[in-house]
Amino acid sequence: MSIRVESIRKTFGAFTALEDISLDVARGGLVGLLGPSGSGKTTLLRIIAGLETPDRGRVFFHDRDVTTLDARRRRVGFVFQQYALFRHLTVADNVAFGLRMLPRAERPPRDAIRARVRELLELVQMDTMAGRYPAQLSGGQKQRVALARALALKPEVLLLDEPFGALDAKVRKELRRWLRHLHEQIDVTSLFVTHDQEEAMEVSDQVVVMSQGRVEQVGSPLEVYEHPASRFVFDFLGHINALEGTYDGTTWRAGDARLRLDTHGACPDGALTLYLRPHEAGLAPAPDEHAHLPVKLTARSVFGGTVTLELTPQGWGDRVLEVELDRDTWQALSPRRDDTLYLLPRVLQTVTCDGDLGPRVRPG
Amino acid sequence: MPRYWHQWALILAALGAVVVLLVLPLVLIAVQAFSQGATVVADNLTSTDMIAAIKLTLVVALITVPVNLVFGVLLAWCVTRYEFRGRKLLTTLIDIPFAMSPVVAGLCYLVVYGGQSAFGKWLDDTLGVQLMFALPGMVMVTVFVTCPYVARVLIPLMQSQGTEEEEAAVLLGASGWQTFWYVTLPKIRWALLYGVVLTNARAVGEFGAVSVVSGLIRGETLTLPLLIQMLNEDYNSVGAFTAAGLLAAMALVTLLLKTVLEWRQHHKLDAAQETTP
Repeated sequence: MSIRVESIRKTFGAFTALEDISLDVARGGLVGLLGPSGSGKTTLLRIIAGLETPDRGRVFFHDRDVTTLDARRRRVGFVFQQYALFRHLTVADNVAFGLRMLPRAERPPRDAIRARVRELLELVQMDTMAGRYPAQLSGGQKQRVALARALALKPEVLLLDEPFGALDAKVRKELRRWLRHLHEQIDVTSLFVTHDQEEAMEVSDQVVVMSQGRVEQVGSPLEVYEHPASRFVFDFLGHINALEGTYDGTTWRAGDARLRLDTHGACPDGALTLYLRPHEAGLAPAPDEHAHLPVKLTARSVFGGTVTLELTPQGWGDRVLEVELDRDTWQALSPRRDDTLYLLPRVLQTVTCDGDLGPRVRPG
Repeated sequence: MPRYWHQWALILAALGAVVVLLVLPLVLIAVQAFSQGATVVADNLTSTDMIAAIKLTLVVALITVPVNLVFGVLLAWCVTRYEFRGRKLLTTLIDIPFAMSPVVAGLCYLVVYGGQSAFGKWLDDTLGVQLMFALPGMVMVTVFVTCPYVARVLIPLMQSQGTEEEEAAVLLGASGWQTFWYVTLPKIRWALLYGVVLTNARAVGEFGAVSVVSGLIRGETLTLPLLIQMLNEDYNSVGAFTAAGLLAAMALVTLLLKTVLEWRQHHKLDAAQETTP
């Protein structure tokens, strides 16, 4: 079932949580609502579920207006951030809850409920824990029970609020993969909230980037990363280094640093900020013809295939820069602490003086 | 285990205080009651006044406890589940019966509902109902005095538990009543029982407010605490102490019940934690 949200507005007292939000989620989609805390993503999810009423705007489930429909009649599956399992019920009773609350005429017979619960617990690989209480489960197990419970009534819409937020890194990764897989198995339209860029990028097939109650960009993970629509999106998706300086038509300067840039006339002379992604620069023991950006190595962290370096500019500001090198490059260079190196950016994102994104440029 | 002499001294001092302040009076009640033999105690227990007082005390408690149970749950629900203007004021108002002397409460009721007031007169003239110096008035003041207990026990608990489980239930299709019955009530049942025990203890033992509105009619409007006072003034010390012993026994049973409930709850929690993988 597709979900459509039309110009939703929601305020809490003087605070505007959502400002004119419109969104389309196609049937069968797995969409991530990504944004920093306070961006309104959870409020949007709760409005779609019917737990909050919007001040203005409409919510549609497959062309049916559900804006005024009671939460209990919307038949959505919802997974809470803290799982909200019924603490006084066993795992099996938690999963059976929705089926048991059905009106007598619709309620399946006892055996059918039991069979459905077993089937769901097998789906989430929790069939051996059916008799346990929530207090006896780990975070990842609770998460899976919450999911089984949400799926018990075969909802066509599944909403998840920070589904992996409270789990440790390893379990999180495992569950992420598992959720993707599960989504492919059942016919459901899923919308999940996250503040973790990596999570949104890995799990969803569409990302909705939100900020301050507004939708900044909607697109596939690759699209939003490669072609960010705004400075906020660029800023929010992964770490960036902001280099502030002035431009004179051919060269960007800041203190002792120089960088030749051809912007094809897109950037006027004057103040110019450059955004540099950590993996889009190299390091060398000497400057080259285009770039003279001296830095001092202050810290490094070796983890997996990449090495993250912390660099302090030498004579051009004091904001610490972050650069990622692959392991081989790092070993070929093998610099020592406090060595002076030269930063060689490959691609830079220009930011115009009014704060918009300019063209992406290469040195030279 | 205490290791130094001053630790032992402190423990002994505490034990001494317990004996002098708590145990000794209770023992003395029993001693005094039985000072003229068991038959006198039995006679006193079976006297018509005593039986009437026991009945009245139980009737008042039996009405008060359910009324305040429902009221307390509704109030706690209202205060913790909804955001509305005057919510803070309401939570403060709940405490009035705690803060106010019961005698004052009794007098207030007398002024509003008594035969001297316009409302009391109207009730008497048109409906023939007399609230004060009768059972209704005694129940009313007891309800007033004991109404904060259940709500006060529930509010912090329900606040800390939050509303997510209720929201989850609603999203799974549960109606308001189903949500309360299958989700909220099981979460608060132990606290609720504790609140009921406290309410009951207070309702049975209430003296001040009830004495103002009872009118002290022997065999009609005397509850156990009032009867004790009456017998004591009549120099029937065996009767007074027998009634006092009965009241103390009721309090002890209530206390025992509360302890058992608490113990069971802890036990259950421990059991749940022990089996955690």
